[in-house]
Amino acid sequence: MSGVLVVMEQRSGTWNRMSFEALAAGQQLATKLGTACSAAVIGAGVDSLSSELSKKKLAKVYAVQHDQLGTYTADGYVAALEQLIQQTAPDYILFPHTYQVRDFAPALATRLKQVLISDVIAIHDGPVFVRQLLQGKLNADYRHSGSGPCLVSIQAGTFRSDAVEEGSSTVENFSPQLSADLLRAKPGEPFRESAQTVDLTAAPVIVSVGRGIGEQDNLGVVEELASALGAELAASRPICDNGWLPMERQVGSSGQTVSPKLYIAVGISGAIQHLVGMKGSKSVIAINKDENAPIFEVADYGVVGDLFEIVPELTKAVLASRS
Amino acid sequence: MKIVVAIKQVPERDAPIHIASDGKWIDEGDLNYTINEPDAYALEEALQLKEKNGTGEVIVVCAGPERVQSTLREALAKGADRAIHIEADDLGSRDTLGVAQVLADAVKSESPDLILTGLQSDDLGLGQTGVVLAELLGIPSATIIMHVEPTASGLKVNRELEDGWFQHVELPLPALLTIQSGGNKLRYATLMGIKKAKTKELKTVPAAAASGAPAITLERVYLPEKQKKTEMLTGSPAEIAAKIVEKLKFEVRVL
Amino acid sequence: MVAGALQMTVETRCFAGSILFFQQPGFHPTRVLFAEPEHFSTLESVLLVAAILASAALFFWRFGPILRNILRSKKDANFSLFPLGRRVWDFFWEVLCQGKVIRQRPLPGLAHAFVFWGFLAFALVSVNHFATGFGLGFLSPERLLGGLYFLFAAVWALLVAVSIAGLFVRRFFVRPIWLGKKVSYESGFIAFLIFLLMATYLAAYFVAPGSLQIKALWWTHTLALLIFLPLIPHTKHLHLVLSPLTVFLKRDGFSKIPPLAGDEDFGLVAGKDVTQLISLQTYSCVECGRCTEHCPAATTGKVLNPKEIILGLRTYLNEFGPASDTPLLTEQRIASPDNPPAKYLSMEAAFECTTCGSCEYQCPVGIQHVPIIVGLRRGATNTGAWEDDYGTKLFLALEKNGNALGLSATERDKFIQKQAFPIFDGTQEYCLWLGCMGGYDPKGREIIADFARVMQHLGTSFGVLKKEKCTGDPARRLGNDLVFQTLAEAGLKTFETAKVQKIVAICPHCVRTIATDWREFGIAPEIEHHSEFMARHKDRLPKQQGESIVYHDPCYLGRYQEIYDEPRAVVAQAGTLVEAPRSHERSFCCGAGGGLAFLGEEKGERVSHVRARELADTGAQVVGTACPFCNTMFRDALTAVSDTPPQLLDIAQLTARALPASQPQSSESQPPVSGGVQ
Repeated sequence: MSGVLVVMEQRSGTWNRMSFEALAAGQQLATKLGTACSAAVIGAGVDSLSSELSKKKLAKVYAVQHDQLGTYTADGYVAALEQLIQQTAPDYILFPHTYQVRDFAPALATRLKQVLISDVIAIHDGPVFVRQLLQGKLNADYRHSGSGPCLVSIQAGTFRSDAVEEGSSTVENFSPQLSADLLRAKPGEPFRESAQTVDLTAAPVIVSVGRGIGEQDNLGVVEELASALGAELAASRPICDNGWLPMERQVGSSGQTVSPKLYIAVGISGAIQHLVGMKGSKSVIAINKDENAPIFEVADYGVVGDLFEIVPELTKAVLASRS
Repeated sequence: MKIVVAIKQVPERDAPIHIASDGKWIDEGDLNYTINEPDAYALEEALQLKEKNGTGEVIVVCAGPERVQSTLREALAKGADRAIHIEADDLGSRDTLGVAQVLADAVKSESPDLILTGLQSDDLGLGQTGVVLAELLGIPSATIIMHVEPTASGLKVNRELEDGWFQHVELPLPALLTIQSGGNKLRYATLMGIKKAKTKELKTVPAAAASGAPAITLERVYLPEKQKKTEMLTGSPAEIAAKIVEKLKFEVRVL
Repeated sequence: MVAGALQMTVETRCFAGSILFFQQPGFHPTRVLFAEPEHFSTLESVLLVAAILASAALFFWRFGPILRNILRSKKDANFSLFPLGRRVWDFFWEVLCQGKVIRQRPLPGLAHAFVFWGFLAFALVSVNHFATGFGLGFLSPERLLGGLYFLFAAVWALLVAVSIAGLFVRRFFVRPIWLGKKVSYESGFIAFLIFLLMATYLAAYFVAPGSLQIKALWWTHTLALLIFLPLIPHTKHLHLVLSPLTVFLKRDGFSKIPPLAGDEDFGLVAGKDVTQLISLQTYSCVECGRCTEHCPAATTGKVLNPKEIILGLRTYLNEFGPASDTPLLTEQRIASPDNPPAKYLSMEAAFECTTCGSCEYQCPVGIQHVPIIVGLRRGATNTGAWEDDYGTKLFLALEKNGNALGLSATERDKFIQKQAFPIFDGTQEYCLWLGCMGGYDPKGREIIADFARVMQHLGTSFGVLKKEKCTGDPARRLGNDLVFQTLAEAGLKTFETAKVQKIVAICPHCVRTIATDWREFGIAPEIEHHSEFMARHKDRLPKQQGESIVYHDPCYLGRYQEIYDEPRAVVAQAGTLVEAPRSHERSFCCGAGGGLAFLGEEKGERVSHVRARELADTGAQVVGTACPFCNTMFRDALTAVSDTPPQLLDIAQLTARALPASQPQSSESQPPVSGGVQ
């Protein structure tokens, strides 16, 4: 048993980008431990995706394919991965901490008589896996103590997807044995509650607004800043719950996870549900009148003050510098 | 439909955080406990299913020391029919597999049609006990569920996905679902509920001893250190604006 | 033979008469005689007996069931006849002197008072009247005493006749809306009967004794009385019989919420929960509409109408009886021809009440509306029937966070630290109770900080509790006994453990709840409102000149605790006191009470806007408040109703602003001391 196996996630031929963060983590862990890192992608007809992976620095790329794996089901993925793991016997199995992974990985771990160390925010020497307890108020060090493989899922933004090392590897097809009556649950097509017109994940600059804005009528203040910067407008959950901005502009654990070049948080306190959605941002500027607001924990630059005074001045200064 | 709701008693959200002397958890002396919030939503979902159906039974199950009985009684007061307390004082030293095993032992004999539990706990937040329990019982599961609808062949559920996407999943019964917060409106505990709860059954069963060592161990807890230094910008609004533009030009490089 | 005897007695009396004032046909200015019939035939006597029996039978036929309904209702928990003193005084003042009746509606009140006193004055006359019909009359119009008494009664008859005529005109021509929109024919008929009674009495001075006319008058008077009697239990005139009892038996204490009686009692759910006092009170309702006239909800377009709630309960009792399981509230009844939904006796109406107490205060017959409305709310909330998003949110916040705003308790800790308040350790004189508003609301915090400065200036030692939970006032008024009991018991324990002896608070709701409502579970240390504290020390507070300050009496300080003068004394130190048109016991609610500050948007016009307009229209420069809820409500309302709104300041703020600045100001809007992150 050796090596690190990273389980990548795809849906209908498109990657879940968080997978590459897990891939970077896997490569780094493997380097630390002096072992090899491999990746697996599950589905039906994933050849192009696996060939994309073959251009990364990996020992092997496993294309786990079967007709029954075309659409995600917990039963299918658990059975397929169980077989792959039995064959390849990795020491560590890394996942990105996605909704899908939360749905099946614990069952996979149980089959292997293991427990998944989930939502890890750091990997220290040991390896010791760091998790958050009590909604981010406490950190905890976990170790894998049993024999057998160690399963870990990694929180968004912990590793950088652009830190994945390029290289080359070979693709190996793996066809699991899956019986016809294996799949107990029948998933439907994913749907959105509203039509999507905004892709926050692609925006390089985001101006995000929270409860500090007070009323819907005041949104103009941040809208002007956003347009001056050429940025997308986003919001924390309460703003979207009130209907002041559409749900698709919500950043947070129940909205979008973004990692833009610049994230400006205006009047956002920084509750953990919001932080989780934006802490992968490369730079964060926070403006809030409460000096104790948790948002300042993740900000590179902070301003304690009245947003109604600061933001218009900032808009003016940005426009001036652009002209 | 017989529904079992697995709930956990956790420290209150406001709880003062003092690290215990052994460094492995927080000091429990001053703590107040309450029901894990996602489990409260799971209980609400179960009660609404029973009310919509007109018949059925809702059984709440909780593992832990004696203090968890207060949370079980609250659940009875909100409308659950029976409660099972799995007495275990050493849950902290068991891992998810160990805890799920303890729940599975108690639930198996009930042969429920449906098991509901919150998607994760407010204290440890591993988010797995439900799925592991389902696997141990050999029943299908689905996670992060917003709505549940019984159908002729089982259930149709609304599952939350990332980025504001949702999907319907159909499952046969028996099944286990982990419930997301916010799907329903929670109900408040009423006087009538509390009085009725006094006459409802609360059974205590012992937890079997832990078999074998845990697969993962929590070594120590500590307060998070801030990894980056935040630079605070001060001055008049115009001065601050100028400083930010500087940063945007030369450090962040978006202007 | 009887007739002969009767005849002789009458003749003897006529003969023996000496004082004669008027005499048929013309009148003599020196002789007036109240005429009486002289002879009743056997037939007449029989008819009289029959009529009396019929009238009495009809009376009891209707009154019997009512009495049964009242007696068969549930016994009131915690009712005690003692102390008798207050009961006797209330009876004397409210019933005999008609104190409330006149004071709160002077002109019609006086008219009613005359009618009532007239009835009392006529008591003997009426007895004598019937006795005469049997030849047993004992008042002699010719004798001095008899004649004087008849004259005395005649004066009253005049007053009553004029009064009843005036009231008739008011009801049928002026038509104040408080008397209801429907024309009440029964009221008209009874007014007519009363008038007729007085007219037939007075007319007896103008006819000859023993004449046909007097006989006719006598029978008319008799029949009028005998028709009136059975009408009493059929109409609101039942109050003639019941209301003296109702006033006497009122629960002691204003807006007194009784404890629940046992495990099966959840409040007023169905007929079987209605108590004897409540039954008695609903049957005593005079339908005068004073309660509705002063109700902030009823006068701003809400469904709630206190009079209709009482009448609705009465209709329910008549229809379903006091042992019924049929739910009281409309929303819980299955609509059917037998159970028609009642618009007013509804959950919607019950939850629009701010518990301001105007209704209860105004009621001249002793009906206590607030415990009834809170009782209806209890029935809905304690059984989970009330499913309101905001209400649920409030109860969950109180359960989880121990405060009504649902904020983390650490927010209060931060405030205490920032203000550097000493923690109460048993050595200080006072425990300063912050309350939910004082601990978490920015404006409430300003008031606390300013009051703390006042206390420091006066050299009074105080400390704040390390941890505080809500007193449970909103839960209590919304009918959630589970949450209320939990909070009250926890609060009493906290005071006991901390060895608190004296408490001072800025919020009348906190004061009232701790001092009175917590009694159900134990005795709290003595607590006073900061106006009482400051008034005691007013000579040491700075005297400020000039500014006109209109003082708004908070419901829970004014009507509830009768504290009117102390806050005024404090205001007078801070400027020139101006009274609002409705002040003291007539003060108009700000709209926040009864838990409504935490519920959703209200229907119709906002209560706070109505009062804010009234206060702004006085032209005062400042609105002075003594309750953080009133303060919050007026903050938005004043700017909404006026382009140049007056300043809004609590009495603590009014006082503190003139203190020497020995301490840093408390304002939350101050920029932070340092820019660093914790």
